[in-house]
Amino acid sequence: MSLRQANSYKEGSFIDRPRHTCALGGALFTLRALSRVIPIIHASPGCGYNVYTAFNAGAGYLGGGYCGGAAWPSSNVVENEIVFGGEDRLKEQILSTLELMDGDLYVVVSGCMVEMIGDDLLTVVASIKDSPAPLLAVPTPSFKGNSYDGYDIILEGLFEGLTRRQTRKEKGLLNILGIVPGQDVFYRGNLSELKRLLEALGFKVNSFFGDGEDISSIRRAARAEATILLSDVAGQKAASFLEDARGVPTLKLPFPIGAQETENFLKGVAKALGLRDSKVQKLLSFENRRYYEYLERAADIYNDIDLQRYTVIVADSNYAPSVSNFVSEELGFVPVLTVVTDPLTEEKQKEVLLRFHSSGDLPRPLVRFGTQTSDSARFLREAWAPVSNHRYSFTLSPGLVIGSVYERELAEDYSLPLVTLSFPATNRVVFQEARAGYLGGLTLASEIFTTLVSGR
Amino acid sequence: MNHLQEKSPPVREIRLKAGVAHLGTPETLERDLRKGCLNQASRSFSQTSGCQFTLSLALLNTFLRAVVILHGPLGCGTCSIANIGAMKSFKRLREPGVEGLIYINTNLSESEVIGGGEGKLASAILYADEEYRPEIILVAIGCVPSLIGDDVDAVAQKLKNVISATIVPIHCAGFKSKVMATAYDDVYHGVLTKLVREKRYPDKVIYDEAQEQRRIIVNNRTVNVLNVTSMSRSDELELQRLINSLDLDVRFVVCYGSSNSLSDTLDSALNVSICGTHDDYFLEHLAEIYKIPFILDTMPIGPRNIARWLFAIADFFGKHKAAERIIEEEEAMLEEAVAPLREGFRGKKAFLAGGELRVIVTAELLSYLGLKILGVKGHHYDKFALPALEQLEESDKLVFEVATQQPFEHVNLAKKLLPDVFVGHSGGNNLTSKLGLPIFPLFSNAAGYMGYAGAFEVARRLTRILSNASFNKNLAKHCKLPFRSSWYEKDPYAYIKSDGLPIEKNNVACTHEPKVLSCQMKPKRAI
Repeated sequence: MSLRQANSYKEGSFIDRPRHTCALGGALFTLRALSRVIPIIHASPGCGYNVYTAFNAGAGYLGGGYCGGAAWPSSNVVENEIVFGGEDRLKEQILSTLELMDGDLYVVVSGCMVEMIGDDLLTVVASIKDSPAPLLAVPTPSFKGNSYDGYDIILEGLFEGLTRRQTRKEKGLLNILGIVPGQDVFYRGNLSELKRLLEALGFKVNSFFGDGEDISSIRRAARAEATILLSDVAGQKAASFLEDARGVPTLKLPFPIGAQETENFLKGVAKALGLRDSKVQKLLSFENRRYYEYLERAADIYNDIDLQRYTVIVADSNYAPSVSNFVSEELGFVPVLTVVTDPLTEEKQKEVLLRFHSSGDLPRPLVRFGTQTSDSARFLREAWAPVSNHRYSFTLSPGLVIGSVYERELAEDYSLPLVTLSFPATNRVVFQEARAGYLGGLTLASEIFTTLVSGR
Repeated sequence: MNHLQEKSPPVREIRLKAGVAHLGTPETLERDLRKGCLNQASRSFSQTSGCQFTLSLALLNTFLRAVVILHGPLGCGTCSIANIGAMKSFKRLREPGVEGLIYINTNLSESEVIGGGEGKLASAILYADEEYRPEIILVAIGCVPSLIGDDVDAVAQKLKNVISATIVPIHCAGFKSKVMATAYDDVYHGVLTKLVREKRYPDKVIYDEAQEQRRIIVNNRTVNVLNVTSMSRSDELELQRLINSLDLDVRFVVCYGSSNSLSDTLDSALNVSICGTHDDYFLEHLAEIYKIPFILDTMPIGPRNIARWLFAIADFFGKHKAAERIIEEEEAMLEEAVAPLREGFRGKKAFLAGGELRVIVTAELLSYLGLKILGVKGHHYDKFALPALEQLEESDKLVFEVATQQPFEHVNLAKKLLPDVFVGHSGGNNLTSKLGLPIFPLFSNAAGYMGYAGAFEVARRLTRILSNASFNKNLAKHCKLPFRSSWYEKDPYAYIKSDGLPIEKNNVACTHEPKVLSCQMKPKRAI
């Protein structure tokens, strides 16, 4: 076995062009997505700026928002503090941040160096008595994991610091976890769409990062009836904390894209929470009618010029199965290869494989797991070995690649158009648009078809 | 200067007494720089600002037929994501069809923090070699492997004969220095030790004397210009045009260099810097070891500095008269082109923030265009800013701030100084935008700034940018800055402290006895 094969599946190997940042990065962008939260980074001078740059560009120019990203408060410890300890510097930085910056919550997070020298964030924070707003510390060294881990660590920290176990739950209140800000380029649109649908069923929703929400949604998290977890990878630890320490049960469902999966999603929630079937049916019939009235517009061009495509999908474990199911079952495309890019244990891989629909006789893609950016090209040679002689060749055409900007080369090599959807997506500026739910499915379909007719 | 026997260059706080915190005038700045006070000043409030690791990547990512290995935990260097698309295009402007940006992170986790990361690094190097067959493998060494003591040079030595690429370790751990520009020394150190080499001309059976003479003639008329990542291909072409007009050939090194082009570095008569902050480490070593003279003076932005820069090159080759003629002609043509635009700049006030030299030369350019300069802010400050400062009129009346990013200070300053346009380095602009000002990017690697063509380009863009600032004005109306209102009532230097003591009043209260008298205030010219 060559070195490269030996490494491509192994969890924790080096990564050729990573699709995640570190735990600190995940934590910072989770805080970035919360309204008026001020992070205080205890780390070397470049840590904050580095992950800001990655997320700003990679997440469709998400920007630094209220705090500025590139201007996050940071202790900027250098050699002197690394030798003599950085706690004094941290305390000074916390006090000056509280004095200077205006926020609803201050959260101290940490980079590798200060954790390696053993600075104790919690003790420093405990020594500060008169903060104008809540002040928390959550150690988030980068070597603890990737941005998914950072999302979990920081949310668990916030739930622990800002909530208490509630014996009485608020009827119809739901939390949503598993959509990681920035790492999911369309996180806010996705949360808003799912929230819209759940609210239409009469639920109240803490999506934490959605339109109009602020840190009071974190405070209310322990009062929820259930937490909907939409990922096999991210949010598990935070959801478990809410379940074990705060008594909020977890309801794990697939991340839904398009009419069919969203219908299943809504039915799943309704069933688990004992909602009347007629209420669900009423919403579904409205949504499905509207969805198909829009999709119907493409009936002419789809069939006039044959817009069906062979499809190669390269995405994280939320998107890869949902997009594969969507293009196959709703757009009638022929998925050839789907690469799941998250680093996963074998056990987790099995869970993710179950998300791919396999009943019926629709074309199903070859599913492969690969964290190295170079993996996809090799998998595609495996998935598509054209039958050809010296005159005829059954080529991968017409086709389409759905992935990140890392897939540009792959798309160019096969002369296929590329639709970006997974991180990093530096070739698009994303605002409110979604990929999840009914409206997200429509937007995705519209973008795919737009790409195919863009030369006309 | 010769640090090449050492593993890594000394940090700039020590080597150049560079400082990252000051607010005053050029006079106080110079005083503190001489006394060595500047580099002891720091802040009790600070904002994240980039580090020498991330800045090193700005250079390393440009190398052709190379793979960059980011040796550190997963996050280190993911900022390269922002360059995936642009860097590929920029590389291809230098060499069509060349590969895009490829980087590999060694993904150090808790177990390597305890057990060492050399094994993972070795497998990443082997993978890079097998998968991409690069000519160069650049290993950027982050904080964690530096602290746990990974011996990257030993790993490189061990793999040297196993793979075909040249392995170049870059020692650029972010925690080592507050002066981000130390990154340039780190990268140059790697380039000097691993990629610049004297060519061995094989003994030929029949020695072609004519060919050898031709080689010497060409080399004697070839100038290396040290390019920077903040310049565009059109900047390079403009400088090339100007130097060609003196009947000299140009080679751009080190950015966008390949194994081949870098090994040609020594075939030149003169090395010319376009940014003193950037280059002294490289130039001094080439002069010391290979006896190649250099010019390290100003940056060719704005007519005065372009002329000064071009004269220095011409004088070296005894071509002063030719340069005079060219400069006169170019200035006349530029003047004719910008004259009608000056009306739009009349009475407009500007504040500039970014690299120390760049803000000063750009201030001179804006002042030539008719704007009034209120102040400048440099990332750090050292002696390399002085030549450009000489070119700036009334520089003693400007507000001078020294801060690596730290937009909280310049937002405060801008609120007090009320400029009409803010010339900003990327990073703090999202906060500055909420002041409702038009923002002119201090640099772009896709637009022209340098030479005469660049001067006109700046005038042209500035005219457009000043004509409508609605986007930022609306942001100012609807998006709040994150600072408490009490901050704007304070002095912008309220959080600068010297040796742990907050600064009392009126600029920097530096009371130290002069410690660092060796700090040379005149630009060095080894001709």
